[in-house]
Amino acid sequence: MPSPMSRRSLIKLGGGLLTAGTLAACGSGSSSGSGTVTYWAAFTGSDVERYFKKNFIDRFNKSTKSVQVRMDVKQLQTLGKLTDTAVAAGRGPDVVYSDGPSSALSFAKSSNTVPLDSYAKKYGWQDKFLPWAWEASKVDGKLYSVPVGYGSVVLYYSPAVFKKNGWAVPKSLAEFEDICTAAKAKGMIPVGAGNSGYTAQSEWYLTAFLNAAAGPQALYEALTGKRPWDDKVFVDAITLYKQQIDKGWWGGAPDRYFTNTDTDMFTGLAQGKVAMYITGTWSFASADSFFTGDQKWEWAPLPSLSDTVKPGVFPLAIGTALSVNARAKNPAGAAEFIDSMIADPQDMLDYLAATGTNPAPLKFDQSAYPPSTDDRVARLYQTIQQSTNLGYASWCFMPPKSDTYLYTEFDKVITGSMKPAEFCKGLQKTFADELAAGSVPSPFEPTS
Amino acid sequence: MRGAQLKAWLFMAPLVAVNLLVIAGPGLMSVYYSFTDWDGLNSPGLVGFANYTALFGDADFLRALLHNLLWTAFFLVVPMSLGLLGAFLLTRIKRFQLVFRVLYFVPYVIATVVSATIWRQILSPTSGIGPALSDLGIPWLKDVNFLGDGDIALGTVAFVNNWQWWGFLVVIFLASMQSIEPSLYEAARMDGANTWREFWHITLPAIRPTFMFLSLMTVIWSFLVFDYIYILTQGGPAGSTDVLSTVMYRMAFEQQQAGYASAIGVILALISAATVGGYLYLRRRLKWEM
Repeated sequence: MPSPMSRRSLIKLGGGLLTAGTLAACGSGSSSGSGTVTYWAAFTGSDVERYFKKNFIDRFNKSTKSVQVRMDVKQLQTLGKLTDTAVAAGRGPDVVYSDGPSSALSFAKSSNTVPLDSYAKKYGWQDKFLPWAWEASKVDGKLYSVPVGYGSVVLYYSPAVFKKNGWAVPKSLAEFEDICTAAKAKGMIPVGAGNSGYTAQSEWYLTAFLNAAAGPQALYEALTGKRPWDDKVFVDAITLYKQQIDKGWWGGAPDRYFTNTDTDMFTGLAQGKVAMYITGTWSFASADSFFTGDQKWEWAPLPSLSDTVKPGVFPLAIGTALSVNARAKNPAGAAEFIDSMIADPQDMLDYLAATGTNPAPLKFDQSAYPPSTDDRVARLYQTIQQSTNLGYASWCFMPPKSDTYLYTEFDKVITGSMKPAEFCKGLQKTFADELAAGSVPSPFEPTS
Repeated sequence: MRGAQLKAWLFMAPLVAVNLLVIAGPGLMSVYYSFTDWDGLNSPGLVGFANYTALFGDADFLRALLHNLLWTAFFLVVPMSLGLLGAFLLTRIKRFQLVFRVLYFVPYVIATVVSATIWRQILSPTSGIGPALSDLGIPWLKDVNFLGDGDIALGTVAFVNNWQWWGFLVVIFLASMQSIEPSLYEAARMDGANTWREFWHITLPAIRPTFMFLSLMTVIWSFLVFDYIYILTQGGPAGSTDVLSTVMYRMAFEQQQAGYASAIGVILALISAATVGGYLYLRRRLKWEM
């Protein structure tokens, strides 16, 4: 039974949202004095936080006397919800964090953040960003957020395990299936998967599968409303995914999917119990901690899971975007701080080299990566910049309700209580409403 | 007399003010939002009873409501029975009674997040009790995925929650039983009553006010249950452990349907109010002693 304390907590929840008011009262808010800019941030570790504070916050504060940034560090898991709630209550920090264009669009649509076009012109931002990221950050033709962290979804594997089993990195559906069959026969989990503790993990795998099986062109057409989500190409992709889950290829077994964690899968990958793991490049920063001694992890682009999709697609994702709060007393100062983070691409590459943190989607000089950068990390960003096979991550390009639908309802497909066609039909219904409301971020046109 | 009443009200005023601020204000706001399409960010628009009519056609909501009812039935039977039995047995022993009371009560004082996390490890299909027993040659639980199998996940979470809860009931029931006049038991024994008759005809009627109060709170808390479910399964797999509060949380904070979530909140509040109303009716109108 819940304790009296949890009852109170629930009354807060049921009270709708009373949390909004509570947080608004407690939050540091945008009521900063003249010259002060507030910023909420979260980091994967204390060393990353120290690096960021020293090289971005302290350096900015020393370089300018008119604007001083005050950073409040929050928990990584709760920063998004804290920000959403505080901003919804008309408060929140001056520099507003969002976990991608989709969230940033919600703030913009509700007039909680301001257009940044004048600052973009002043600081010349458009020339610095990769075109796809620039387009995705616009709402109704105006720039509302600045992407400061991006990555992709790739296939992680252990070269030692692959070598021991005589496997080569899969590029086609047939090669992928061969490895899955062989790994399963050896008692391994062919592809790591699970959503215990973080239900949204399902969208990592769905993003990979939809890009590799339906392909970027179909996704682009769906994201722009030209192809419905219950089109055969998506139903076939989800059906194939479900079949592979039923075979125990993803996560070991359908029921195990619900108790596996990201940590379990990386641990299994290092121990040779998991053959492959498909997840985001944000794990570059932590993957080494699972591999001890001479063991190494490696990544490869996603295989093609359909005859019509080219292998090696990179679903792109902006994981962190910054906006300026509509209630900021010093919006110019907030924009100046945002500019300081991206003004010199070398700063981002140094940050990447020192901490492994995903960098802003800037046009980096291929030779500018510091020598200390992990080869695997540098190779990813160099490859993406040259690739023409770019796809779409759901948490970046899907509107909020459709994105949530994707990972909450997919559980029902796994348990068999919903058919793939029903799942796609429900997705289309949710997406159509959001498309009509103008809540879909602008996707870039496929280049391949 | 008036001065004394004024003083009493002055002492109560801060608490009343806090409750108005923390419960009444947001509660009324919730009622208002339940009639809107509020997404948590944009201005809400009135939609009448649309959220309420949608609720009763929403399979996820109805299943969560059913889970709350099952949860209530479980907690009215299992921990209450265990609590009564444990307390009654403890009244029969003198040595080590304090030790048992402490042992029973310890789970209740462990933070929920801590005990739930420990239980998640214990129930893990890869590193928990199943594989451990299998290594010892007992394979019965090897392939049981307590939290991943939708058929048993709700029962598993209820078991874990009960583990923390029933010891608390033992202590409360024991305190109530210890206030019963010993001469009643002595007279019953002289009349030839056995232990069961002592329990049924003396203990149970004597502690009825405590029993009824805990039953009432059990019903209310069963509809507000959130913490163990959210930590252990987050309502999954595929809604098989969803209760109204987890659906409400998901609607409000993940699906940007704060108006819809508010309607669920209002339903929850109405259920609690009906429970309390029933309790008051039994006590005041039917003069039940409780």
